[in-house]
Amino acid sequence: MNSEPTTLLQGTLDMLILKSLIAGEMHGLGISRRIQQITGGAFVVKPGSLFPALHRMQEEGWISSFWGDSENNRRAKFYRLTKPGRKQLELETKRWDRISLAIAQALEAI
Amino acid sequence: MLLITKFRSFLRNLFSSRRVDTDLDAEVRAHLAMLTEENLRAGMSPQEAQRQARLELGGVDQVKEQVSEIRLGNWLHSVLSDCRFGLRHLRKNLGFTVVALLTLALGIGATTAMFSVVYGVLLRPLPYSDSNRIMAVFEVNSRGNPSRVADSNFDDFRDQSRAFQAIAKYGNDVVSVSGASQPTRTAIASVSPDFLSVFRIQPILGRDFTASDSTKGAGPAVLVSYGYWRQHLGSSPDLSQAHLKIGDSVFSVIGVLPAGFQFPTDADLWLPVDLNGEAPSRTAHNFSVVGRLRDGVTVAQANQDISAIGRRIHQTSSEQSDYLLKDAMVLPLRDSITRQARSPLLVLLAAVGFLLLVACANVANLLLAQASVRQRELAIRTALGAARARLVRQFLTEAFLLSLVGGCLGVLAAFWAVTGLVGLAPANLPRLASISINIPVLLFAWFLSSAVAVGLGAFTAAHATSADPRKGLAEGGRVQSGTPASQRVGQIIVAAQIAITLILVVGAGLFGRSLLKVLEVRPGFNVDKIVTMDVSLPEVEDSQAKANQAIFFSNLIDRLQQIPGVRKVGATSGLPMDGGLPDGMFLLMTQNEIPKSADDFDALFQQKDRIGAADFCVATAGYFQALGIPLVRGRIFDQRDGASSPHVAVISESLARDRWPNQDPLGHTIEFGNMDGDLRLLTIVGIVGDTHEYGLDTPPRPTVYVNLFQRPRAAITLTMLSDAATPSVTAAARGILRDLNPEIPAEFRTFPQIYSASLGSRRFNVILLGFFGITALLLATAGVFGVMAYSVSRRTPEIGVRIALGAGPGDVLRMILGQGLRTIFIGVAMGIVGALALTRAIGSLLFGVTATDPLTFGAVALLLVGAALLACYLPARRAMRVDPMVALRYE
Repeated sequence: MNSEPTTLLQGTLDMLILKSLIAGEMHGLGISRRIQQITGGAFVVKPGSLFPALHRMQEEGWISSFWGDSENNRRAKFYRLTKPGRKQLELETKRWDRISLAIAQALEAI
Repeated sequence: MLLITKFRSFLRNLFSSRRVDTDLDAEVRAHLAMLTEENLRAGMSPQEAQRQARLELGGVDQVKEQVSEIRLGNWLHSVLSDCRFGLRHLRKNLGFTVVALLTLALGIGATTAMFSVVYGVLLRPLPYSDSNRIMAVFEVNSRGNPSRVADSNFDDFRDQSRAFQAIAKYGNDVVSVSGASQPTRTAIASVSPDFLSVFRIQPILGRDFTASDSTKGAGPAVLVSYGYWRQHLGSSPDLSQAHLKIGDSVFSVIGVLPAGFQFPTDADLWLPVDLNGEAPSRTAHNFSVVGRLRDGVTVAQANQDISAIGRRIHQTSSEQSDYLLKDAMVLPLRDSITRQARSPLLVLLAAVGFLLLVACANVANLLLAQASVRQRELAIRTALGAARARLVRQFLTEAFLLSLVGGCLGVLAAFWAVTGLVGLAPANLPRLASISINIPVLLFAWFLSSAVAVGLGAFTAAHATSADPRKGLAEGGRVQSGTPASQRVGQIIVAAQIAITLILVVGAGLFGRSLLKVLEVRPGFNVDKIVTMDVSLPEVEDSQAKANQAIFFSNLIDRLQQIPGVRKVGATSGLPMDGGLPDGMFLLMTQNEIPKSADDFDALFQQKDRIGAADFCVATAGYFQALGIPLVRGRIFDQRDGASSPHVAVISESLARDRWPNQDPLGHTIEFGNMDGDLRLLTIVGIVGDTHEYGLDTPPRPTVYVNLFQRPRAAITLTMLSDAATPSVTAAARGILRDLNPEIPAEFRTFPQIYSASLGSRRFNVILLGFFGITALLLATAGVFGVMAYSVSRRTPEIGVRIALGAGPGDVLRMILGQGLRTIFIGVAMGIVGALALTRAIGSLLFGVTATDPLTFGAVALLLVGAALLACYLPARRAMRVDPMVALRYE
């Protein structure tokens, strides 16, 4: 099941990226693979969606970037969560909970 | 905090875009490399690993493009790159750019210059605090027109109206003033005590008038203007020594007003009014009135208030006559000053607007031609994924670049043009001094340029981007030079241009013919070789003093007659075309009908067959001779008519005809005392020709002339008919006056100056409209030429084929011209319809021609058709000369 995350709300992709950075700093490919992993393979984020999201979130101030060395000693751009980013993750998570609750209720109702 | 981060990102994107770009490039390539490694580790071959990696990435440039789209400031960045692209395009097509810029500069510059005149005169607030709360108050006379206010009526307005926080009456005059550094003729105003409060002005030195200054017998006080204080009182801060002699009285200067305040009309001195008491009659309309509205009162409310008072006076006053007010009204002061100038200025503004449209139409056609040439470029960009919006924005940006630069050039030209306009403007244009290029005018220019930009850009974009990109690409390399659709649009634009130009030139023609018709009117008097000399003696009450003044003038006239070259000397209380004469009602009365009491007088005024209305002029026999006003019947004043002889009068021809239609007025007696207080009967002894006192385009007014030596006056204008050069005459005259009385200054004007000033307004309109019309005609002709030439060049292959198939030069000519003529005739037809509809609006400004004058319409239509055909001639000739071999080879 490979659905494009871009069909999700933009906030959802942001939430997934922020979540995957909780564990620590990562470069773009790493974030993509991590999202794939934590969603059990359901969502594969293509670079065409990932990069714009990363740069947008960086401009918003939720993540910051720096150049570092990857596992194979290759130069890559790494991202880390900022304090406002952590707050944003909380916000997004709460919002997601509310939405899924509402939808669940709607589906149970006649 | 976050806002700062975002702002820093914005700045970084804008100014370090290259570094940001390199960074992104490195990041994406690193990502690609890591993907490739992943695939290698998974066991793929190097080529397969790379290919899979590229597939997953989706293309480095695509990803970079997607990132840059969401960047902060991306919008600005892409607009700037549009600008750079646009500038490069304009630079590469320099010919087109220069022509478009000059055309836009012309249109925008002319419109800005005209707007600065309209703004300065009609829109700019008066230079007083809250000036839109200052109202002018008028009586409304029996003909429904506004007129000045009588003393008692003003008192009623002041006491009964609740609409004003301050209200004042004022009159103005020009008198001789001495006691300062030199005697001068100065404009003065007589004002009531609240005058300065209406304008919220305080003297910068000294004090304002108080109520006690304005009563009969008060020690006369005077306020001076800043300019007068500096020029004639030496800017002395001590006013206690400053005294001015005006008339017979000595006035002490009690205050100096702030610089720049000279209301009404260049007044330098302000006297308290009513020093000799008020005029009792409610029909003596001596004063103008201004008032400042109370806070919260609207103009409409003030109007109702004043009108109610006016109508009450009309109904209850005992002085019932045609001269008693019927109503009263209120107008904002600025509007009352600029009322006359309003219509012509708005017509001129509309005309320049038309010129702008014609100029923009030319530029639109140029842009359209450019866009056709760029079809291929557009097709490629569309194929590469450019959104239509982006392409539209590109056209808008180029249009903005053209319009803003053209607009700047236009504003620069406007500075120069405004100086010319102000120089050309008639002297009686109100608020001439407030015309300049200021912030509101610049804002207007900016908005105008933007509107032109949006219009041109949207228009071009709509046409250029609607084409199918496949057609642009499919033509195998040959440049697409214009679809039939775009050709048709070009012709529609030209037809519209011709229509607008026709309307404009018809307007210019009508105004021009009006001016010619006005010049054909015979004024009724000499204009050339007349030098005028204004002399004002002090006003005196005593009849002996008045008689002495008459003797003074008699001596003056005799001595002026001696000046070499002077043939005739006369005197008058009012020159033609110089502001007009007072008018009033006279009674037809014989000696034994003179009533004993005031009530009997009033009763006589009620009898319609006893009264007449006329202008009142005090003159000498020499006046008629100097100005060449012919004697029709009877005689004019002579030696018999001395101070103690029976008073005589001479009347104008139209008065004789209208008031005594079946009788000979000679020998009849009239009483015209309400003009100068002298109740003695006047015997009509002569009839003279009519004169156009108010201007050639107003009918002559009935006039009664009385003899200066029988009805003395303190202020007169001497008229000298002389063959000698003006400077020598004025020098001699000035010397003579100084001999007779050194305290009285004289002011000289030449009558031709006065006469041409009266035509100034019409001339101004004709010159400007003519300029706009000719310019529009040239632009439209260029437009026709451009479209025809373009069409011929596009149809060259087709023409080649036709010629190869046997068409003769005549056939080709007919084909090309036929198409051109169709456009021209459609344009002319639309123009005629439009002109017929629009010239109705200017009917009141014309003289001697109707708004639908067939001669003008026909001539202009022919002119336009001729000009357009001329423009078609060259391209048509080129079409005839097409060599079929050459034409076909370029297939």
